[in-house]
Amino acid sequence: MNAEKSVSDRNTIVTERMALRIVSLLLLVAAISVFVLWSVNPVGSGSESTFALYLAVDLVSVGMVSYVQRAVAREGRISRAPLAAGSFFILFLVVAGLYLLS
Amino acid sequence: MSDTTSEGGHQEDKADRGRNSVAARAMGWFDSRLGLSHQMLRPAPQYSINPFYWLGALATVAFVIQGVTGGIMMLYYVPSPTQAYASTLYIFQNVSYGTFLQTIHLYTAYAMIMLAFMHMMRGYFVSVHKKPRELMWITGMVMGFITLGFGFTGYLLPWTIVSKSATDVGIGMMGALPQPLASFLTFLIVGSGSDAGELLRFFDLHVVVLPAVLLVLLVVKMYMLEAHGVSEPTTGTESLPPKKRRLIPIFPDVSFYLVELAALFGSAVIIISVIFPLTLPPEYSASLAGQSVSQPDWYFLWVYQILKISAFEEAGLSVALSVVTLVFIVLIFLPFIDRGKTRSIRRRMVYVTLGAIFVAEVAVLALWGYLTPGIAIPNETAGLVLGGTALLVTLGSVFAYKAVFGGLRGLAKKTEHGGAPVAQTPSLVAPRAVSSRSAALWTAGIFICLLVAGAFFIGNSIDGVIALRLGTAAALQSFAVSLAGLSLTVIGTMFMLYRLDLGTGSIRRRVRAFELGWRE
Repeated sequence: MNAEKSVSDRNTIVTERMALRIVSLLLLVAAISVFVLWSVNPVGSGSESTFALYLAVDLVSVGMVSYVQRAVAREGRISRAPLAAGSFFILFLVVAGLYLLS
Repeated sequence: MSDTTSEGGHQEDKADRGRNSVAARAMGWFDSRLGLSHQMLRPAPQYSINPFYWLGALATVAFVIQGVTGGIMMLYYVPSPTQAYASTLYIFQNVSYGTFLQTIHLYTAYAMIMLAFMHMMRGYFVSVHKKPRELMWITGMVMGFITLGFGFTGYLLPWTIVSKSATDVGIGMMGALPQPLASFLTFLIVGSGSDAGELLRFFDLHVVVLPAVLLVLLVVKMYMLEAHGVSEPTTGTESLPPKKRRLIPIFPDVSFYLVELAALFGSAVIIISVIFPLTLPPEYSASLAGQSVSQPDWYFLWVYQILKISAFEEAGLSVALSVVTLVFIVLIFLPFIDRGKTRSIRRRMVYVTLGAIFVAEVAVLALWGYLTPGIAIPNETAGLVLGGTALLVTLGSVFAYKAVFGGLRGLAKKTEHGGAPVAQTPSLVAPRAVSSRSAALWTAGIFICLLVAGAFFIGNSIDGVIALRLGTAAALQSFAVSLAGLSLTVIGTMFMLYRLDLGTGSIRRRVRAFELGWRE
């Protein structure tokens, strides 16, 4: 029973304060990507891909915020797996966008 | 000092109470008039928090994205044969993020068609068309045809050599339909027959008529969904744990879930559009039209491939169109054809197999059409490929049913009786202590993958034989690869059967068990 509980705790985040931090971080990422969206030169030839990738960053951030809100409100805990997957996805998009910008 | 603080605190409290009271009264006033706190939409069960339940909603998201991107493109597009291509090119070259806009518009259209098809097939397999949702099914089917209509009308608008030639072929085929229908459709979408009239009608249909009709039907379908609710699982809700059965409100729970799905869907489409940006083919001209091979977009390729079968060419065209029309009519009136009361997949083997054959045939025909543009298909080849696919799917379905519902029968009975395994036929040994549901799903999934791969490689092998006979370059290599793929699929299928056998005993005993199963 104890072993099950510890596994469960390892895979989930329970505290609301932690959820608030995650949401704040995601909103910050979304705000930065919006800033990048406005900064990209719209007539540049390679700017469309950068614009698209940062738009995707925004969408994924909003989706994750929505997930955190739903999971905390309904289950009282957040599973780590979707958060990890979403974070890696955002990281990949940001790196790809920076590569295109350079 | 403390008294002053206390007095100040009291005053603040009073002010807060006053504000709360005013705010509460204002909210109460609005609530009583607008019903804000009243849940207008019926709650959904927890088990519906699953992407397969919301494929139609995702198709609606795609429709909304198309509305937004299409609305922006309408600011620049000119529906005239002399300016349509130039204005499309202008969007590509001069409008900010124009290529991205066009690519997103096209890919969400593709996604909408694919999601609508998946929504329909999922509904077919889990029997959502049965009482009391018959009219929901019919409405959904009409919405599906309108979605295809969006594709057909939108394809012409850039006025490229590819789009105009393929649309002309489509319009030409309408002449082979039964007479009143042919005249009506020709009048509706071609008009007087001039290019200008045709393009203008396609544009009007694409941006006004079809969206308006689709929106009305969407409202009708949502109304019926509200009346009947989300469909139950085919196994019923009794077997589900109470946590899965509980009802959750549409707002915020289901709404937030849909936001997650929409965000994932949107980001996926965006990334695909970055990897494969759209390029505009050359402009249509009568002189160029004769030099290119007309081929429709992928969602009509299966119909195109049927029409290329030798037996259906020329005089047989009306027969081919009748066959395609019959398929659509059967799909529309399915609730009145499949009238059995059971919704269990386990007890609907015939309908499930027919559905699997339909999906496999459509996929094989579309792929085949893509690989052989403009090449007529001999009758024998068509019979071999289509018949072979149907046979392969049927055999796969039978084996999958035996594996999922037959081979694990022991476990099912054990669960039903809640105790020791019930004695089986003498040759069947006791089942393994594994998660039966998970094993069954994995087995079925792998068999379906093997079936799709098998159908693909059979089609490709036959295509390779045709190419060999025509002496096409690299035909031998393609044929060898297809044969190798087919061999791997056969070996994979045999390995799977062997693995299934390991679960119950020796091969001989398993064959004996199958024999007994057949006799039953």
